[in-house]
Amino acid sequence: MNIPMHRFKYTKLTKDEIGKKLKPTYDGPESVSELSDALSGKSLKIVTKEGPVLEYTFKSKNELTLVEDGGSKIKSGYGALTLKQMVFFSHMIPGTQKGYNVFADLDTDLVTVIEVWFSSDTKENAMMGPPIEIDAREVQRQIYYGYIETAGKEAPEKLHHLTNRIEGKGMYWKQDTGVETLEFYASVMSTNFVELTRHVDDLSYCAPTDYVLINDNMFVYDRTECEFSGIMTMYAVDLFTQSQIGMRLGFNEKDKLEYYMFRGKGKVVGHLTALEPFDEHGETLNMGFGPAPASDQPPPKAPKGQRRAYRPARSYENMTAEEINRIAEKNTITFTDNPNTPQAQAGMMSGNTLPYSELLAGKEFTLRYDHGPVYNYKVSDAYNLEWKKEGESKWRKETYRAFEADEKLLFFAHMHTGAKPPVSVKIALDLTNGLTTCIYSKVGSEYYGNEVTYEAFFGVAEMEGLESAKYLRHEFTDELVGRGFTRTYSDNMTSMHLYTTPHSSAWTIYMPDQTLGMQWCAPALYVKLREGVYIFDLVEEACNGAETCIIENDKTMHASGFGFHGGKDGINLGVIGAIARDLGQYKVKEYFGPHARRKGE
Amino acid sequence: MSKSTSNSNERPNAGRRSFIWKAGAAASAVLAASVPAMSMPNAGRNNGLKGEVDRLSAKLESLEDQNEIRELNRAFESFLDNGRYENVVELFSADGEVIFNGGIFKGKDKGVRRLFCEYFSAGETGKKVVPAPGFEHENELLQESVEISMDRGAASGRFPFSIQVGMPIVSDSVLVKMARLQGGGIMKWWEGGVYEMSYVKDDGDSRWKIKSIDFQTVVKADYRPGRSYAKQIDIPLFSKVYPDDPSGPDRLSRSARRSEKA
Repeated sequence: MNIPMHRFKYTKLTKDEIGKKLKPTYDGPESVSELSDALSGKSLKIVTKEGPVLEYTFKSKNELTLVEDGGSKIKSGYGALTLKQMVFFSHMIPGTQKGYNVFADLDTDLVTVIEVWFSSDTKENAMMGPPIEIDAREVQRQIYYGYIETAGKEAPEKLHHLTNRIEGKGMYWKQDTGVETLEFYASVMSTNFVELTRHVDDLSYCAPTDYVLINDNMFVYDRTECEFSGIMTMYAVDLFTQSQIGMRLGFNEKDKLEYYMFRGKGKVVGHLTALEPFDEHGETLNMGFGPAPASDQPPPKAPKGQRRAYRPARSYENMTAEEINRIAEKNTITFTDNPNTPQAQAGMMSGNTLPYSELLAGKEFTLRYDHGPVYNYKVSDAYNLEWKKEGESKWRKETYRAFEADEKLLFFAHMHTGAKPPVSVKIALDLTNGLTTCIYSKVGSEYYGNEVTYEAFFGVAEMEGLESAKYLRHEFTDELVGRGFTRTYSDNMTSMHLYTTPHSSAWTIYMPDQTLGMQWCAPALYVKLREGVYIFDLVEEACNGAETCIIENDKTMHASGFGFHGGKDGINLGVIGAIARDLGQYKVKEYFGPHARRKGE
Repeated sequence: MSKSTSNSNERPNAGRRSFIWKAGAAASAVLAASVPAMSMPNAGRNNGLKGEVDRLSAKLESLEDQNEIRELNRAFESFLDNGRYENVVELFSADGEVIFNGGIFKGKDKGVRRLFCEYFSAGETGKKVVPAPGFEHENELLQESVEISMDRGAASGRFPFSIQVGMPIVSDSVLVKMARLQGGGIMKWWEGGVYEMSYVKDDGDSRWKIKSIDFQTVVKADYRPGRSYAKQIDIPLFSKVYPDDPSGPDRLSRSARRSEKA
């Protein structure tokens, strides 16, 4: 697949179409690995808490009968796989669009049941605007915790449960199908995953996820590719042997049914530091659904299937290029803050901004970019400059802001006032060697009039007293790949940046107790300026279209830069500043690039 | 409401039934209960045994009222602390009102519900927190008091508070919008002060209800547990009324504005 998932237009399959496509599932899932006969000839009565009672009889390794809550007997195909003491079986219910997936721990008789269904006919509250109608093709799920009832044995008090113990772990997986993925379990409710073999680009995506703790080395996992194909992947993992057994159900980008079980072998590629309090043992999980219930009140029961799914593409208000140009004429806001006190700027993205630098004041110079623009500059003071394209006679006045991101390494930005579509430049200029990188951005893409697009140009400065290199340039880098950082923009807003691949990045929002919650990701670029000093530039594509362009300094653990976006409220170029904590790094660089280990193997 | 300044160990004139009981602490109930009627020096001499019984009955009823009001207040604070805003609203009389941050919210099912179930709920306001370091209440402020009207149909009270107050961050930032979806994205601070409350006995079930609360905030500070400093901050008062501000007050409180400026 060479169209990024966030750009792909998935078919709106109808309930009837889905019903017809699901018929093969009634015979049970396919599997490359041989399915297990561990359950053949056996009967199980599974009692779940706040869920169904499921009475199974397994006639063979691919045929079962089910009595659901004492109802009539249902015959269905199924498949089962085992992993140590865990038996996992999956089946759909003929004539319906639902099925059950059962993870049974035969050592403890504890069970996690994941009911799945299509055509939910539900609506979900959006970030803005009216509620969103959920696509019929999006697999829904409800998890029930229970046990296998045994005559004469009391019901266990402690069942499987959601956990934060997996938060921060990253794994590489290779299924028996040949499918390879990188999966970063960086949040308690979401996954960043990279399709290493299904897709040709090295991009990561996010999907709502559940993490269920079985024991210290085993967990059950599911993710649904909401906002994309709606397909679901679930599996049980044994971390000791780094093995998995799982199932995939849904319709891919070609609307083809996928219903198969798989075995996989994996590798832990690292951990990011979780920042929950140390007395958090993963026994309970803060899912951030609102205030905690009073101690004498039971937690409110969530509607069946409820999950936190971030759906930016559907709630994004698309604008045309003409609308953006009209708004730009009326309302372009460039650095609204008091220039003397950048930290005091109202807003939560700039509370930790660096002081502005005066290092450029009074300087005249030319920035010459390879295969790109050439700009002449005359800088009046710390906040005002004039610029022109080389060869032009008319100088243009702009307000600008500059940060000293590292010793004599300036990062400054300004608008190209009057440009249509609106343009801003963010320029890194190294006053020690004359190297410069320009991130040239405009509001508008081939998809949305209000989505920023960007390009990086590398070049050199011509300035009195500066001897610039002829061949040396800043360059794109993968040195940040796999690294995670907190970004504390102000006391009221901290997120995590996870640099997932050389071409994409994810951001995750901390909940009040510093558990990692909702996340999303987008393509990005990384430029190395010096050892430990990088430009990171990201546009929230098919999201809100805004650009974040920062210099990340590993030595100071401070990121400073600029935000650029266009929307109904106008065009805005503002400052950004965040202090950081290093959360660690996944060792994943080997999986990316033209010479990646997986390519051609 | 007429008032008396009698304190808990001062014996009112038993011959006059026009009194207001005021108690500085629940200990007054213990004191009253521990003093037998016959031990009173004038009992049976001035008004006879019946008079004394009437006086003690009235005092007992008043103390019961005080205890009920303290219970009511404990429930109010507990519901706020636990984010049970619907329960908070149910403690109010139909014509109840609240003065908060320069705004007056009128009517249990209108302004009061809007304040607690929308404004407070969105900002998770009301959770009890210890006072910000350096801003602890003066002893005088810590004193609770309850006064009952002579006809026992109304009362007033004064209770110290130390709570977290919050306001959802309004921003186009996706980070904020995502945070809001998971219950975050709230600017939080600490407020300390005194609840000036009035109560009324419900005609229907004869239970005490809150008629009004004036959040008399003495100080607001930027402070969260775990932080090593606290600094006083200014929070803008309500400047718009409902419906221009969908969770705003029914009208602005001029006195509150003056008081904040002072």
